[in-house]
Amino acid sequence: MNVNVNIIVVETSPLVSEGLAGLLNKSGLKCQFSFIDSLGELELSYAKRKFEIVVINPSYVQNNSKTFNSIRNRLINVRWIGLVYAWHDPELLSLFDSVITISDTSDSVANKITKLISDENQQGHSPSQDLLSEREIDVLKLLAAGKANKEIADKLNISINTVISHRKNISQKTGIKSVSGLTIYAVVQKHVSIESLSE
Amino acid sequence: MYQTVKFALAADLKMSEIILNNPYLLLLLEHFGIDAPFQEKSVNTVCKENGLSTDLFLTFANLYNGVQYSPDEPPSFSDIMAIIGFLKNSHKFYSDEIYPGILSTIRLMAKVNDHREMTLVQKFFVDYFSEVTEHLDYEDKVVFPYVLTLYGQISENKPPEPGVEYSVQQYKEHHNDIEEKLNDLKSLLIKYLPQKNDFAIRRKLLFDLSELEYDLIIHSKIEDLILIPLVARMESFLKEGG
Repeated sequence: MNVNVNIIVVETSPLVSEGLAGLLNKSGLKCQFSFIDSLGELELSYAKRKFEIVVINPSYVQNNSKTFNSIRNRLINVRWIGLVYAWHDPELLSLFDSVITISDTSDSVANKITKLISDENQQGHSPSQDLLSEREIDVLKLLAAGKANKEIADKLNISINTVISHRKNISQKTGIKSVSGLTIYAVVQKHVSIESLSE
Repeated sequence: MYQTVKFALAADLKMSEIILNNPYLLLLLEHFGIDAPFQEKSVNTVCKENGLSTDLFLTFANLYNGVQYSPDEPPSFSDIMAIIGFLKNSHKFYSDEIYPGILSTIRLMAKVNDHREMTLVQKFFVDYFSEVTEHLDYEDKVVFPYVLTLYGQISENKPPEPGVEYSVQQYKEHHNDIEEKLNDLKSLLIKYLPQKNDFAIRRKLLFDLSELEYDLIIHSKIEDLILIPLVARMESFLKEGG
């Protein structure tokens, strides 16, 4: 791949961060690196110089998940890789788009990064990603009509888990979690008419 | 939310200086029933004059300053009166001042924009307000009297009354998230609700909601990090018979 990847490494150990940079330069992938040592510096760095990939030690996220999530929501074009060289809770690792470990070879690290970058190009980060899909709108309409998850699942012929995951996506995209808040959203966006709402 | 310089507060700083850096500390003092002017007095002096533990004040004030601070000694049982007083006063502040203020701004917004979504927004907030009131009432009428009873038993060296089955653990479970709907309202306001050119009303509402949210976040931190552990310690102290 001929693109230049901008990577920011959040890590206090120079041995680890410079080792990673050396490894990737060897792989032939064209990368520009910057290094910082805390999550707090990330947004200021992004404002100065854009990057596509953050490689971060998961322990910086561990007790900062609120900060992490809010930064993540703001930097929508950035992909997150956990840099693992100690044991971490799988739930913590699931927050990342990908994980590299201390035993990865230069090729496997380069592959993981290339894959994340190309995933992103295919999706073509358009604003439409923030809009609800047709299926999500179906779920939203039934929610606004006061239906419970089970009823929505039956009506749309999908499992309850699928309903829950649609709801999660709807809330993520709109920033609205409560059913009554989503109902107002549905009316404002003209997915349902105000007359159709049952009291 | 007013942007302050985040720094850790200490007992020998001037009270007036720390308030000028973070005006919300004036509200914090108000919740403790302490009023300005402070002249050149230090934090320690103001606390002493008002019979408030300096460590307790610093713990709360640092939360408002965005700094996690825990003194070497955990709060003592006798601090419970000040903590409950603080929480009661902030409840009163929410229900007598903040919520009615926000509600009247929403009403004003509905008047200026006569599209029908605004009636839904108004209903949303009224419903939310009654949920919050229920939560505050529960604390005022169940939790706080319970805690004061515990404290009475400890200070009078009485054995625990049999038959009191309530424990702070139940409160912890009841303690639900009242910030979520505020966030929903902010998202609707900024992302979706069409408005005529009423900059001032929208801005006022956003600022008021953000301020309330900030205060509520600290309020729940005080309950989770300070009140609940302290009451749990009181409970086990009584169980072990002093």
